[in-house]
Amino acid sequence: MSPVPYENSCHRKSARHMLLTKEERQRVPSAFDDISFDLCRRRDDVIMMSADLSHYVDLFKVTKELPDQFVEVGMAEQNLVGVAAGLAKAGFVPITSTFGSYASRRCFDQMVICMGTSKNTGICIGFTPGISSPAPIHHQGTEDLGMLRAVPNATVIDPMDVTDFAQALDVACETPGLVYMRGHRGTTPKMLDPETFKFELGKTYPLRTGSGVGVISCGHASQWAVEASDILVDQCVDHSLLHVPTIKPVNEQEVIDYCFAHDQIVTIENHQISTGLGGLVSEIVCKVGRGPRITRIGVPDSWAPGGSIRHIRQHFGLDGPALAKLIVEVMQ
Amino acid sequence: MTSNSAKRIKTLELQAAKMRRNVVDICMQRGGYAGQGVALSDVGACIYFDEMRPDENGWYHDRFVNSNGHDTIINFAAMAELGIYTMEELRTMGADGSPIDQSPIEGARGFEITSGSLGTGVSQAAGIALGERKKGSDKRVFCLLSDGELHEGSVWEAFMFAAHYKLSNFIIIIDNNDLGATGKTSEVMAVEPIKEKMEAFGFHARQVNGNAIPEILDAFEEARSVKGKPFAMIADTKIFAGIGVYQDAIPFAHFVGANGRWDTGYLEWEPGWKEILGTIERLEAELAALDRGQT
Repeated sequence: MSPVPYENSCHRKSARHMLLTKEERQRVPSAFDDISFDLCRRRDDVIMMSADLSHYVDLFKVTKELPDQFVEVGMAEQNLVGVAAGLAKAGFVPITSTFGSYASRRCFDQMVICMGTSKNTGICIGFTPGISSPAPIHHQGTEDLGMLRAVPNATVIDPMDVTDFAQALDVACETPGLVYMRGHRGTTPKMLDPETFKFELGKTYPLRTGSGVGVISCGHASQWAVEASDILVDQCVDHSLLHVPTIKPVNEQEVIDYCFAHDQIVTIENHQISTGLGGLVSEIVCKVGRGPRITRIGVPDSWAPGGSIRHIRQHFGLDGPALAKLIVEVMQ
Repeated sequence: MTSNSAKRIKTLELQAAKMRRNVVDICMQRGGYAGQGVALSDVGACIYFDEMRPDENGWYHDRFVNSNGHDTIINFAAMAELGIYTMEELRTMGADGSPIDQSPIEGARGFEITSGSLGTGVSQAAGIALGERKKGSDKRVFCLLSDGELHEGSVWEAFMFAAHYKLSNFIIIIDNNDLGATGKTSEVMAVEPIKEKMEAFGFHARQVNGNAIPEILDAFEEARSVKGKPFAMIADTKIFAGIGVYQDAIPFAHFVGANGRWDTGYLEWEPGWKEILGTIERLEAELAALDRGQT
């Protein structure tokens, strides 16, 4: 884990080489199929669960090759989480899978009451979170992080790629109570080096170091932040990146140290700009007072359109070039 | 039909009477769900003191999930008889700072789930039943819910699930007391015919007089013989059944307030308290007579 310099000569400052170079990054098809299968093969107490969406969250191999570790409940999200909580009370580690919009909106009470008040591990994964779903509003859960981080003792994780998704799921299986995770489906980027990135609950990860603007992101938005950062590196614009995969409980001191080392903070999230990551960072900085200005970027208290994620990102100025431009403007 | 000896039934009637006494004792302090608890004491006595198999640790091999938080007063009433709670503790229910919740939170002694949000317990009980079967355990899972709780859609999701997975170790008891939060269940939102609905959802269903212990025992016996299906006992109960002087005291008794007062009526505790103590005395004498007769 020795610090290595960045690929671009503009950035002499080093960081742990957790972020793969552009050339090293890959795109992994059906990532969750392998992640879930690998986990279930290692742990026979894990049970993957679906509400008739297994094929739409890349859950194939477990259903066919480890059928005893798969439970289908049909299109019934309340029952999905309730049964999962029951399986946990019988000694299993249940992992429910559905879309983030349904996980947060249709069975919030079950997450809070059946899992959130229990010491048993219960994991709910919300796939295609935020604007990563092409179907507008009903399939786009853009407020889940805020809802879940308001639940006492809950754990909330928003991983950015296959590396921290897989590692965080392992940690989730050892975490008591309700764990809500956002999931990645389909072809998923591999941007973090599994050799040097080690997921720890609450830990924040500096992906690029620098001064000027500090960019804090989570989940899909950390991919977008890296895209913008690549452009800024090419333009020799000084900045830094902090990936915050754990929304709750986050290491607040690390967030404070990072924010107060910068004059300007930009938060980027695949979520409403209220209550999510930007809200979290603002709350933490407010506790100290006299902090840097915080610009919150994400879904700006509006419904997102449907369509490709490329289209939706461009609609909100969340594409790489637009984000890079915004970061430069903030600095000025 | 029956292996229900007179002594077995009398013993359970006495346990039920003691549970009624405990319910009234608790509710006399600061109010509570007295009508439901008194009505459910016969079912509760059969579950706790007859049907569930004890384990070697002083608890039960089988598992009991009470999905209806309002009915959990019968769990407390039974556990007072088991020595899990003292009446001194239970009399603090409803007081600020009391460790005894009217709808307990998971982890409270003797409670499997947090049960205050109606409709969430049935899925959990079904999940426990599936999990126990996956482990190869012969544990049976009893789940108590209420007719008003049938308004919640999530319970029907759970019923479909239990039948689909052929959970024959899953026994639900529906407390059919025709009482919701603001009126009669049948008037607020009709749920009948419950038995036919349960059968249509794939359950083996039986309707009983929930205040007749022999009928309850017969239904549990039938449940043990059912293969490949979950079992539903629809237990028709009558609010305050077993305490005659309370019968007409208040027409509607979702929650009896402190000092017996509530917005829909007034209940004088003392006559019922005396009646139930008299009932216990009578049943003890009858049981003693049965014992003498047998020896």
